[in-house]
Amino acid sequence: MVFASITFLYWFLPVVVLGYFLLPKRWRNGWLLVTSLFFYGWGAPKTLILLAASVAVGYGMAFALEACEGAGKIVWKKILLWLAIIMEVGCLIYFKYANFFLENVNRWTGGALALLKIVLPVGISFYTFQIISYIVDVYRGTEKAQRNIIDFAMYICLFTQLVAGPIVRYSDIAGQLRERDIKASEVKLGIRRVILGLSKKVLLADLLGEFCETVKDFQESTVVALWLSAIAFTLQIYFDFSGYSDMAIGLGRIFGFRFPENFRYPYAATSITDFWRRWHMTLTQWFRDYIYIPLGGNRCKKWKWICNIFIVWMLTGFWHGAEWNFVLWGLYFAVILLVEKLTNSGKVQTQKCPWWKTFLKHGYVILLVVIGFVIFEETDIFMLGQRLGGMFGLGNLAVSSEATWYYARSYGLLFLFGIIGCIPVGKWLIGKIENQSIGKRILVVAEPVAWIVLLLLSTAYLVDGSYHPFLYFRF
Amino acid sequence: MDKKNSSIQNRIQILCIALVWGILALLCWVLPKKDISESERRKLAQFPDISWASILNASYMEDFEEAGVDQFPMREGFRGLRAMTDRYALGKQDVHGIYMEDGYLTEMLYPLNESSVQNGGEKCQNIYDMYLADTETDVYLAVIPDKGYYLSGESGHPALDYEELTAIMQEAFPEAEWIDLADTLTIEDYYATDSHWRQEQLTEPANRILETMGSQSLEGLEQKLALEAFYGVYAGQSALPVKGEPMYYLTNDVLEQCQVYHVENGKTLGIYDEEKLFGRDPYEFFLSGNTAIGIIENPNSTSEKELVVFRDSFGSSMVPLLVQSYSKVTVIDTRYVNPELIGDYVEFENQDVLFLYSTVLLNRSEAMR
Repeated sequence: MVFASITFLYWFLPVVVLGYFLLPKRWRNGWLLVTSLFFYGWGAPKTLILLAASVAVGYGMAFALEACEGAGKIVWKKILLWLAIIMEVGCLIYFKYANFFLENVNRWTGGALALLKIVLPVGISFYTFQIISYIVDVYRGTEKAQRNIIDFAMYICLFTQLVAGPIVRYSDIAGQLRERDIKASEVKLGIRRVILGLSKKVLLADLLGEFCETVKDFQESTVVALWLSAIAFTLQIYFDFSGYSDMAIGLGRIFGFRFPENFRYPYAATSITDFWRRWHMTLTQWFRDYIYIPLGGNRCKKWKWICNIFIVWMLTGFWHGAEWNFVLWGLYFAVILLVEKLTNSGKVQTQKCPWWKTFLKHGYVILLVVIGFVIFEETDIFMLGQRLGGMFGLGNLAVSSEATWYYARSYGLLFLFGIIGCIPVGKWLIGKIENQSIGKRILVVAEPVAWIVLLLLSTAYLVDGSYHPFLYFRF
Repeated sequence: MDKKNSSIQNRIQILCIALVWGILALLCWVLPKKDISESERRKLAQFPDISWASILNASYMEDFEEAGVDQFPMREGFRGLRAMTDRYALGKQDVHGIYMEDGYLTEMLYPLNESSVQNGGEKCQNIYDMYLADTETDVYLAVIPDKGYYLSGESGHPALDYEELTAIMQEAFPEAEWIDLADTLTIEDYYATDSHWRQEQLTEPANRILETMGSQSLEGLEQKLALEAFYGVYAGQSALPVKGEPMYYLTNDVLEQCQVYHVENGKTLGIYDEEKLFGRDPYEFFLSGNTAIGIIENPNSTSEKELVVFRDSFGSSMVPLLVQSYSKVTVIDTRYVNPELIGDYVEFENQDVLFLYSTVLLNRSEAMR
């Protein structure tokens, strides 16, 4: 089931919320677990078995690790840790990467190994990372193993973040699993966030996606069309993924959880280093804490540090999908980040900068991010070369065409709304209005009206639209 | 005090949003389910029956999602809201590929699918080779421009290259004598909300066809009202708020006495089928819509000549205007009949044979057999 669907919004969610608030507190975790399993099993019921197995491994291994506390058992503890990681990562590799490896073995050796008939379970990359972080935290002794199986299973399976993040670490919500304080102000913020996320997804991401699809169908592409399509995809993926994260965080708030933020206006960054502190923050933090630092981080010899950066970014790319373009995408950012670190140009500016310098910095980030997302989007390496070549005038393409300008005009306002939506101008404006006493009074009425309008508009697009799953579901 | 006020405000705001959300959800659960969407002219998906098999293979969920969308309360209103938002708030030039210009809703047929047009031409040539090559028939070809041909120039919407399309057709089907209809039509000759042309406006193109085929020009036709408010296919597809328009037809004693035998179902009906005015597509009033083979007998014909028309839906309203000069007109739609079977129903000798197709079909000719 996807958040941006009629089934979720008008059949599933009202029942879950109603049940949650009507049930006594002690039954609420159980209710969330049952409804989360229903949510997950809705699209592919058979994958529930894999999810249950992963949860069981995480739950059992954490206990075993805790039982190995004390001198003399450190070797057993390490063995158990690696066993748990191998079991969890093994599942991920099998379901997500097995066919990729087989295809490549066939390609390089000319062999004909049969591909496996497996379907990628939705959200496997996300919940596997959550379980691994939990096991490692218990191993490190920073967290205690969860005794209550329902609470633990609910933490992993909670439908709000199960299939597309944010990656919520056990330490983020361990206390909230038992005791949650639900306030009207939090519920209001939660509802607001859900509708904001829904609108980002349905009113911006999906329509920008329509533009990308239309341009792909052009018989004769043009340089301008390729650039517009790349910019549209850059906006689309941001609104798609951050929209999902907003909905997840908002739903969590309604149920009394405080999930970590996943995005902080990434396209307003002034360097690529800064960009990665704002984009999919829970994933970058996960890689930092569970891969980069254990490898030695930057507290090692320079060549090893460089190796660490490349390993982490290659894995980050590969996490996104079993295709070479994702590896290339990760390495592309590894090179840029390395250059920024070596030239000391990645630091966030704290002193006031001339406007043109700030403008150039934003331009530099946007250009590299747009190119990055072309690599991300195009899974066929040959087509990727053609597309990038075409964008830079190497493809013998016409600069523009009648159709290009038609669609540029037709989607012009959407692009404008998209650009405004990904910089903090709206937040700044609301802050200004809230600071005025009259503005505050207007907002009391205008705010719920605006959210209702956005809810109805999003519903209208869902009712009259075709199926648009979230882009990050495939990861 | 401020804190208390703020808490009350929060609760009221939550209540307002929850009320709208909750009412819509409740309506989803309790409203009776509908069978068809009249504006979209299609059956609506229904909620599936539950079974273990359908749950395990997830088909139950897929069907449920589809039905959830199709059966959503006030669906037409929400579709209209989307169309209005697309057009007026987002400034989109078309809604689902349909745009409105000068009060006319038009599908954006673009780009020219050269291989499809080539295929359409070759299909016509195949029929010629199969049945007409060794006969004394006179063969004609006419291609009807879509509305975009007349509207796109001013509006800036991309449109098919009609000249290029007709050149491909003539090259692929060189045996036919070309009849150019483009200059006999204007945008006013089409329905505002439908893809088709208005029969009462077709005197000039009909005369062009008749004259080229050496037949008498039209005379003595009377215009009558068939329907006061006709909503064409684009009205439903675009969901934009549009007014219905009158549907007229041309008739006289000769046409009223003509009978059409529909081979497909064995029925014999008049040229104009009033029952269809109240059906899914009122345009099917003309010749009962799209049927595989229809044979029109004209008992009042002063000539022994016969006509065979290979056509698409545009032909339904044009053919009645060609009937007067012929004793028998056979109307064939190769989307619904395999060309190899045509010989069982028509003997080609010395008839006039007209291939009359619209750019709408030729640009998506995969439906032609």
